[in-house]
Amino acid sequence: MYAKLVFRNAKRSVKDYLVYIVTMTICVTLFYAFLSISSSFYNPDIGSEYDFTMLSDGMKIAICMITLLLLFLIRFVNHYMLRRKQKEFAVQSIMGMEQKTIGRIFFAETLIMGMFSILIGIFFGVFCSQFITAMLLTAYGKPYEISWTLFPDTVLLTVVFFAASFFVVGIFNTHTIQKTKIIDMLSAEKENEPELKQSRFISVVAAFFELVTVWGLITGIQKVLFYYDTRFALPVQLMFWGNILFPLLTLLWSIFCIIIKKKREYFITGLLICSVLNAFAAASVAALTNEYYLPLGNGTLNQYLLFVLIDLLFFICALIYLTSGLIVTWKEKSPERRYHEEALFFFGQIISKLNTTSKTMAIICITLALAIFMFVAAPILTGWSSGFLDIRSMYDVQVFSRYNGVHEEKNLPQDSYEIITDFLTEHKINTDYDCTFDLYLPKKDDFHRRQKYDFPIAAISLSDYNTIRKMLGYEQISLGEDEFTTQWKTIATEEEKSCFLAEHTSVAADGAILNLSEQSCHEEAMGESVYNSYTNVLYVFPDHICKNLLPVIRNRYITTAENISYENAKELEKLFTEEYPEQTESGVMYGIRFSTLQTNSTIANNFVLQAAMLYGAVVLMIICLTVLSLQQLLDAGQYKCRFSVLRKLGVEEKHIGKLILKQLSVWFGLPIIVAILVDAVVISYFLQTIAAEISAYIGFGALMLQIGATVGILVILLICYFISTWIIFKRSVNPW
Amino acid sequence: MNTILKLEHIQKYYGNEGNITKAIKDISFSVEAGEFLGIMGASGSGKTTLLNCISTIDTVSAGHIFLEGTDVTEIKPKSLARFRRENLGFVFQDFNLLDTLTISENIALALAINKVPAGSIEPRILDIAQKLNISDILNKYPYQVSGGQKQRCACARAIINNPKLLLADEPTGALDSHSSQMLLSTIQSINEQLKATILMVTHDTFTASYASRILFLKDGEIFMELRKGNDSRSAFFDKILNVLTMIGGGQSHVC
Repeated sequence: MYAKLVFRNAKRSVKDYLVYIVTMTICVTLFYAFLSISSSFYNPDIGSEYDFTMLSDGMKIAICMITLLLLFLIRFVNHYMLRRKQKEFAVQSIMGMEQKTIGRIFFAETLIMGMFSILIGIFFGVFCSQFITAMLLTAYGKPYEISWTLFPDTVLLTVVFFAASFFVVGIFNTHTIQKTKIIDMLSAEKENEPELKQSRFISVVAAFFELVTVWGLITGIQKVLFYYDTRFALPVQLMFWGNILFPLLTLLWSIFCIIIKKKREYFITGLLICSVLNAFAAASVAALTNEYYLPLGNGTLNQYLLFVLIDLLFFICALIYLTSGLIVTWKEKSPERRYHEEALFFFGQIISKLNTTSKTMAIICITLALAIFMFVAAPILTGWSSGFLDIRSMYDVQVFSRYNGVHEEKNLPQDSYEIITDFLTEHKINTDYDCTFDLYLPKKDDFHRRQKYDFPIAAISLSDYNTIRKMLGYEQISLGEDEFTTQWKTIATEEEKSCFLAEHTSVAADGAILNLSEQSCHEEAMGESVYNSYTNVLYVFPDHICKNLLPVIRNRYITTAENISYENAKELEKLFTEEYPEQTESGVMYGIRFSTLQTNSTIANNFVLQAAMLYGAVVLMIICLTVLSLQQLLDAGQYKCRFSVLRKLGVEEKHIGKLILKQLSVWFGLPIIVAILVDAVVISYFLQTIAAEISAYIGFGALMLQIGATVGILVILLICYFISTWIIFKRSVNPW
Repeated sequence: MNTILKLEHIQKYYGNEGNITKAIKDISFSVEAGEFLGIMGASGSGKTTLLNCISTIDTVSAGHIFLEGTDVTEIKPKSLARFRRENLGFVFQDFNLLDTLTISENIALALAINKVPAGSIEPRILDIAQKLNISDILNKYPYQVSGGQKQRCACARAIINNPKLLLADEPTGALDSHSSQMLLSTIQSINEQLKATILMVTHDTFTASYASRILFLKDGEIFMELRKGNDSRSAFFDKILNVLTMIGGGQSHVC
């Protein structure tokens, strides 16, 4: 009998469960699609030079971490369903059904719906995983074809994960139903008169913010005591003092408010302004450290980034908290505005909702800001790292050395790394080009210059330089008898180059003075190891000059006729590191890089990073939008009666339609606008600090395109949720 | 006296062809300006349906309703809302105040919807609040005041636009006896001092005794009409009770 009831209930209330099914299906789809890559049955053809296992492990961990967030969503949607069915439960209880049984029936219903959505979700997941395979193969530069396969282990994992979460949530629900009084169930739809009592949320947040401010003040004072110097440039001095002044101001304001017992709104407004000032002061630390090479360590920088983060979080909470107050003030200011047709009703709706849900709203806003940031940062980070890869892995085999730890000239590297030649011959790998070359110091005395900002620029002989150019397919260059030219890293800015070239029209080398050639500057990418440490430029000298110079670095670049397989590269890397470790007793550092290994690890890391960030962003986004939409629909019963009062008072349907649209726009618009506002500031700061890397490795045009695409996805998601909420809302408010 | 509301052979059916329920069979009556008319009847007698038809919330199946000469049944659906807000005032059993607005804002909303200039709204609220004795709770929210106060606020909202007709559906239904008495005196004073025409639906004899004329409905038809005339309220009360016994009894059922 009960089983029959369960099935009939489920069938009848599909409409009620629509939100539940849709949300669950999306969750399952995403979960399955992203996890399918880590399946042991998943074997995309990415070529023998790449290895896949590393990717799937990283992937599995990332997906599972993010999916924990989904538990929260499942719980919330269940809560919504529970609220909707309260009245039905009440009737069943009155008829004499035990609450335990009711709980079980509800559990069975949700389980049926859940299983149903798992099925559909996996079906859609198979589609979606095609996109992810496409994404993956594109990342490895391989063509892809669509294949329809169901991975048993992924299916199992998906079913187990979701079934387990249904059970956990189901147990909670059954418990809730058992504990609810019948009378409360009966009046569930009518409850919810807004209690306009102040929530304690903002007090807790403010107290936490005060604590962090005290910490910030102490840190500021410490930094001044340890690092301050009157010779610093003015902006740096302002930064040091600002980081004491603004936290102090924040604390003084709080004390002032407590003493003269100001209203809480004033107190929070003051703190809001202070948080902005604090954030600017703290954010300037990282920016100025880069600009002026301040001796602040990474620990300090991270600490200040943490301060910025906390300031931002507080800013969001305080802003949301103050919004309703702002609306009230705005409303009170002019009777025309207040008494314009249904404006009073609209203000009432918004203010009461904001007052009762400022905490939820703040959390949604923060989550949204995080999601948007992830959406934008994912293409930047992966673009950066793959752009860097192109520049780094220009040679199939790249051996390099560094003399940074060498103090005796006799210990400088002089090997020609024969072990590689032997290995290649043994494995019958033919080479196209093979070049072993030295980098020289123009002046022997510079050997002992070891300060980071004062490292000597190295030089290369013209013939070696031309060989490398030939390897990379660039044109040969020539130099006059006493001429030199320069080769630049991709990251160097135009300003840096022109400044340097203007100052260095001639260079004194041991035994000669060289003048800058007419073709003074070469910018083709040549890898990172062709320059001396901490420098962005390399001199190119005629061969006869170099004979008299001190060779300090010996490198070897090889391009092979065919790709070196992943296994071979691994093996050779091992052999090489045994003979030439990274740290030797003489102080020389050796290193070997294979484009195979570099590409593999970068692509894999990039892919995991990008997939995880996009997945995380989509999940967070969906959570926020679902919560926003359900928050409105939860109160639909109550709204129905409010709107019916309006109708009886003689408000036209057209106006009611407008009111609904306005209310939903504010409800969706407020957190989104605040999140976008905060993100715009954060992202522009982020872009500012890595502007050099972006222009070198990604290009602003390509970046804007990527950001545009992700913003597009965001907008589509938003529109879908908005429209469906709007339709359901209108339907539930309509009396017919 | 001039007639303000006139109903001609009103009928209202529910359901489809095979299964028709006649909520109102055939009702005709008229209301004079300044009259306080009560409508009584048992559950299912059609009184709420009648009120809904007059208030244009529901449509009639046949017949005409004239409000000051305008045929309400002929008004286009688009203009109905406007007609309601300009001509009718409502008081409901469960107050129907918006709990997101203060008492004064609840009253102001009715004026604002009627596009009354913003400047004159607040003086009018203060004026009506004084008349209905709710001046000191104007800035409270509905959940902070008592049921009687809520209902007086609802009355204020209903009459602030000077409607041609005030419709009250069981106004004392959710009130205790003391609050009911106070509210009824208020409604009576609205009728007598502000010259408002009131149509009140109730099944409570005490409440009905405040009216000047009562129509008794039974099974969708007017069963009887009772006028207060020069009777005292207690005498009128007894008369009503007698009629109710007659309706409810119906000699044949007793045996």
